Amino acid sequence: MIVLKEIIYLLRKEILLEWRQKYAISGILLYVLSTVFVVYTSFKKVEPNAWNTLFWIIILFASVNAIAKSFVQENSSRQLYYYSLANPTAIILSKIIYNSGLLLFLSFLSFIVFALVAGNPVKDNFHFFAALFLGSIGFSITFTFISAISAKANNSATLMAILSFPIIIPIILTLIKLSANALRLMQDTAVWKDIATLLAIDLILITMTFILFPFLWKD
Amino acid sequence: MRKNWWKALGVVILIYTYTAGLLIPLKPGILSVNPSNLNSGEEVTLTVIGYNTFFTKTESELRAWIKLDNEHAISATKIELVNDTKAHVSFNIPSNLPTEDKVTDASLVIDNDQDGAMVLPSKLTIKKTIDVNPNAEGWTNAPITDLNRKTGFSFPFRGILYETIRNTYFHVCLWFAMIILLITSVVHSFKYLRNFRMEDDQKSMSFTMVGTLFGMLGIITGSIWAKDTWGTYWTWEEVKLNMTAIALLIYLAYFVLRSSFDDYEKRARIAAVYNIFAFAALIPLIFVIPRLTDSLHPGNGGNPAMGGEDLDNTMRMVFYPAIIGWTLVGVWISQIVFRIQRLKEKIMEF
Repeated sequence: MIVLKEIIYLLRKEILLEWRQKYAISGILLYVLSTVFVVYTSFKKVEPNAWNTLFWIIILFASVNAIAKSFVQENSSRQLYYYSLANPTAIILSKIIYNSGLLLFLSFLSFIVFALVAGNPVKDNFHFFAALFLGSIGFSITFTFISAISAKANNSATLMAILSFPIIIPIILTLIKLSANALRLMQDTAVWKDIATLLAIDLILITMTFILFPFLWKD
Repeated sequence: MRKNWWKALGVVILIYTYTAGLLIPLKPGILSVNPSNLNSGEEVTLTVIGYNTFFTKTESELRAWIKLDNEHAISATKIELVNDTKAHVSFNIPSNLPTEDKVTDASLVIDNDQDGAMVLPSKLTIKKTIDVNPNAEGWTNAPITDLNRKTGFSFPFRGILYETIRNTYFHVCLWFAMIILLITSVVHSFKYLRNFRMEDDQKSMSFTMVGTLFGMLGIITGSIWAKDTWGTYWTWEEVKLNMTAIALLIYLAYFVLRSSFDDYEKRARIAAVYNIFAFAALIPLIFVIPRLTDSLHPGNGGNPAMGGEDLDNTMRMVFYPAIIGWTLVGVWISQIVFRIQRLKEKIMEF
């Protein structure tokens, strides 16, 4: 119960911080917009197959950029202060929940903008948004944890990419397959197997995060 | 010596793997048959090319059959041996086929007392030349009896694979050894996070290093094998190949992560955390996802890897020791890497 309370407080803190420094969120939004326009102007006409891949690549890069700052935006002494107040589980969980929300918002926005400029080929809305939802959670868990690791190192921006991209590949491959199904690019009867795979990966990653994060934060 | 017996054991097993794995011959088999498209009602002479066969050195006669299914087969009318690996076999193919189909495939079976029974499965096609109802006339019911068995040690003769079947002891066994080494590395990472002893971190790093090396060797041997059987060194269509490439990327990133810290304690802690996290992420990568997708690679999409005729008892006698041998040598190399690493860190402390 105490952890739950802490999570709520920390979530409020995250949102408040985001609200006060509006540059971070507006920067990410502009990033999405400009990427979509770059993609659109270079492709002109986007085939459903390319649409599917490009959409997830845009989401991938936007997510890395949005989450990379999770652990570096506040200086180390203030982080020490948080850690002395709250449970490490509450800290990582509040970050993951906050980042999931942020990514969900971000991917919906990317979808709307991308659909506006490049057309909307999605045929099966339920499966597509299920993929979007599960993907946001998976991305959020992985990137939040890796950003906690890379924040400890010296060149964190590069590390963030090289540490997280190989780990994210199983998730993004499953997502692309799922949404290809939703776009009717392929016929797969085993959609639930893919969703189960995604859920299982998310579950493994979140369990590892819970076990390992307490070792990570203390300096 | 009493303490290091396992190193000697590892070397002995590997020498055994190399000699047995490379020297034991393949079972005799049929390499090709020409012509392979036959018509019903004709009299044909097939040129059969054998592999590792001793057609002329046999005591009994060579026998040959064309087999349609378990109930329909015909025996050869005339057999002429050219040399040990070449024979001309003549058949009188009946004028009708016992099936409804226009074209049916058939197997060639050859038997003698030196080479044992050999089968070339479904390589022959027989076309029906007359347009009447199926009729089994001329096809005899199961005349294939008293088949000989090849005695002595030999590896299975498999189409497409042929001699490359020996790569099983290198490619597959290296992968097994790699998995064992990486698991050991993760165990040491857990140990480090419990006790914070630098030794555990150094051990974990050494095991990861040798595991990655074995992974690269596994990719190289697999690549050569793929060139021989699939005709290409690398294919992006294959999920297992991509996943292993990603697994290697993860471990290369691990070394980059390590090198970005100056403080040993911090490096050890964060490397251990990443090692465990990466291994957890690796499990769906190499064990789960490849099994969900279809692929040419053995062990995928219901494609058997180690069972049936691909791994017979003779092969098992080399295969299982080879895994142990590679693992033992891997542990030995890791131990040396560990000692070097410990000395390096000792020097740095002064």
